[in-house]
Amino acid sequence: MVSQHGIFLAVSIISDHFGPLVSKVCRCLLRHGALPLQEIVRRLELSPGQVKNSLLVLIQHNCVQAFNSPRGSGDKTTTHYLAIFENILHRQRFSKFVSVIRADIPESEALLEGLLQNGRLTFDQLVERTISKIPEGSITPTREEIRMNFNKLVFAHYVERCPKPEPFFDPLVDEQPTLTRKRAPKTVEIVLSIDKKVVNTAALSDAERYSEIPCIMEDASNANDSPHSSISGAKRKRNAIEVDAELNSTIAENEVLYRANFEKFIFCLKKKFCAERKKPKLKVGTHPIREAFFEASLIERDNNSVTSPINGILERLGQKEGSTSMTLDHITRVLEELNCSPSSEDPDSFTLDLSRIIEASRNEEIESLVKKKYGQEAFIIFRLLVREGCPVETDKIIDTTILDKQIVHGTLYKLWKDEYIDTERILSGTGTGNSQFFVWRVKNTFREQFIDNLYHAALNLRQMVNYIAELLLEGSKDDTKLRNRKNILILALIRHDDSLMLFQDF
Amino acid sequence: MPPRKRPPQPAKASETPPETKPKMSPPSAAASAPGTDKEVRILPDAALAGLPAPERLIYKLVFAGGDKGMAQTEIRIKMGMPASTLTKHLRNLTGGKSILKVVNSVHKRAEKIYMDSRLDPSPEITGGTWYRNGQLDSVAVASARRRCLDQVDKLGVAPADAIHEGISRDCPGVAYSIEQVRDILRTMALDRELEEVRSTGVGQFSDHRAGKVCYRRGGVPQGGMMERIPCGVCPRIDECSPDGVISPSTCVYYKKWLQMDF
Repeated sequence: MVSQHGIFLAVSIISDHFGPLVSKVCRCLLRHGALPLQEIVRRLELSPGQVKNSLLVLIQHNCVQAFNSPRGSGDKTTTHYLAIFENILHRQRFSKFVSVIRADIPESEALLEGLLQNGRLTFDQLVERTISKIPEGSITPTREEIRMNFNKLVFAHYVERCPKPEPFFDPLVDEQPTLTRKRAPKTVEIVLSIDKKVVNTAALSDAERYSEIPCIMEDASNANDSPHSSISGAKRKRNAIEVDAELNSTIAENEVLYRANFEKFIFCLKKKFCAERKKPKLKVGTHPIREAFFEASLIERDNNSVTSPINGILERLGQKEGSTSMTLDHITRVLEELNCSPSSEDPDSFTLDLSRIIEASRNEEIESLVKKKYGQEAFIIFRLLVREGCPVETDKIIDTTILDKQIVHGTLYKLWKDEYIDTERILSGTGTGNSQFFVWRVKNTFREQFIDNLYHAALNLRQMVNYIAELLLEGSKDDTKLRNRKNILILALIRHDDSLMLFQDF
Repeated sequence: MPPRKRPPQPAKASETPPETKPKMSPPSAAASAPGTDKEVRILPDAALAGLPAPERLIYKLVFAGGDKGMAQTEIRIKMGMPASTLTKHLRNLTGGKSILKVVNSVHKRAEKIYMDSRLDPSPEITGGTWYRNGQLDSVAVASARRRCLDQVDKLGVAPADAIHEGISRDCPGVAYSIEQVRDILRTMALDRELEEVRSTGVGQFSDHRAGKVCYRRGGVPQGGMMERIPCGVCPRIDECSPDGVISPSTCVYYKKWLQMDF
C-alpha cells in the first residue's frame, strides 16, 4: 500500500507532466486501487470521455495497467484499471536512464529518448520520429541502421515488448490456496501485493519480451536464381519461410509496441550505486580491481547480485594504469576482501551480493538522519537497538553505551516521542529492588515512516521548483538569482531521488 | 534482570585516579572483604549483644541483601515498622556503631541503600568502573577510548586482546581489564569510530584466527542524503502540507537555505 505522501508525490508528477485532469484520475486509482471505468466516472463526476482519454494517456505512458476481472457469477468480465505507482515515480528518473544508455550504447540514445517521451511506440513510429528529429543538413540514418541500434537496445534488455494489454486476473481465485500449494513444503513465500500480481500476469515471457526485430536479407528475392533451387519442394518451403520471416518482421515493425524496460535501468542504477557506495572505505590499490569487477559483469541471474568472470576482470584490469603488474593471487585475495565470493555455478567467476550493500546503505541513511536530528547519543542508542533487534532494558542500554543515565533517558524519550522506538513497561518480580522495568525496541514501522518522509521531502522539493518557476514567469528583478535557486533545487531533487530509489526500488 | 558484567567498584574509588583502575575482580568477590578473598560473615550474636532486638533483626535483614543492600522502603515493609521508628534504629546502626553504611544508587539517586559497612557495593549500585561517586566518569571513558584508538591505528586491524596487550605495554601506568577494553571497543563500534569485522584469516587478517572478532578504523560515514535538505530535519514536517499554513512556499527553513531574501 502506497503511503499518503507517496500518492501526493505521484499525483504531483502526473499533474506536472499531463495536467490536472489526468492527475485527478491517477489520484483516484492510487487511493482506491483497481477500478472499472464506470466507477472512476462516478467517483470523479467527470464525463466518461474525459476519464477514458485520461486512462489512455496513462496507459500509453505505462502508468496504468488494464486487466479483465470476472463480474458476478456469470462469464461476463469487466475491465479494471490499476495505477502502477513505481512506474509513475520512474518518470522523474528519465534523465538518469538516458545517462545509462549514453554510457553503454550512445548510438541508441535518441531511440530511447523517443520511447521515454512517448511511452509506447512501434518500431515504425520510432523510425519516423528519429528521421524527423535529424537536423537539416545532417546525414539521415537508414532504416537498417536504426533497426540495428534498436536491436542493440532490445538485446541488452533496455527495451522490451509491452505487456499484455488486458490479461485475465481474478483476485478471488488468486487468494484461495490451491491443493498443490497445501501439499507443498513450508517455505518462506514472498507475499506479493495484488498490484504486483497483476503486473506479473500481464508480463510476457522473457523470450517474447526481448525478441528483436528480425532482419530480412535484401538478397532474399534473388534466391530464385540460385543453382541449388532446382528442387521444387525445397523451393516452395524456402519461399514459405521467407514469406513468414517477412510477415514476422512487418508485424514486429508496425504492430508490436515497445517500451523502455524500467527494471533493467533500475538494476543498472543499483549497480552504479553499490559501486560508488563502498568507494571511500577501500584501501589504496583496490579501486581498479573493484571497478574492473563491476565493468566486467555480464551475467545477470537476478537483481540482487553481480557476477563477473575472472577473465573479464583481468581484461579490464589490463586496460587500467598501474594494474598490469597485479598477480592473479593478489586480485583473487582483494576480491574476497571486497566480499566477492566465487560463483557456485562457475568457479571462474566471482559474485557480489548487492542486497547486503543495499541493506547496510539503508540503515546508514536512517542512522545518519537520527544523528543529525537528535545527536550522537541518539545515534549510538538507535544503532544498538537496531543491532539487537529485540527489546532492551534501560539499564542495559546505559551499560552497553557507557553514556550518562540522564542523557540516555532524555534521548530515549525523544526517540519514543517521534515514533522511532517503542517502549513497554514490565512489572518486576520480588527481590529485584525495582518494581518495574522499561524495555525499548525499534519500531517495526520506522522504515515505512522514513520512506513516507522521503516522499514528503521530494514532494516539497518539487513544489519549490514549481513555485520558483512561477516567480520566474511573473518576471522578477532577480531572474539570475532565481534561476540559480531553481538549479539548486533540481540538483537536490535528483540527489534525493537516489534515496527514494534506495528504499523503494533497489 | 541479568547480572551486570561490570566489575565491582575498587576499594577506594574516590581516591583512585581514572587512568589507574584496578583489574576486574572475580565475580565471587561480590560478598568478600575488599582486597581479600576472605568472605565477609555475619556478625556473631556476641557482637550484636549490645544492640536492641529490633536493630539486631534489621541488621540480619540488611546483611541478607549482600552487596546489593536494601532500600529503606523495603526494610520498612519487611519489618512492618513505622517509618519514624525505623529511621531512629537505622541512625543508631549507621551512626556511632557503624555496623551499617548508606550508599547512593546510581539508578535511584534519591534512594538510600543500606548495607553491611564491611561490604563494597555491587556494580549495580555504583554503576561499575566507569562511574565515580555515582556519576559517569567521562574523562576516564574518553582516555580509554583514545588509548584503544591509538592501538587500532598502530595495529591496523586487531582483536580486543591484542589491543588490551598493546595498552598494557605502552601505558604501564594504567591497568584496564580485558572486559573494560571490550566494553570500550563495543561502544566505539556502535558510534562507528571503529568497525567490528570477523577475521577471514587471510590478507590483512593473516595474523588472526578466522572468525575472530577484530576492530579497525570505521570508514567515513556515507549517505545522509535526506539530511541535506531542510525537510530532512524539519521539526514541523508533520504540520506541513501542500496548501496548509506551513507549506514549501511559506517555509522559513527553505527561504533560509536558499537565501531567498528577495
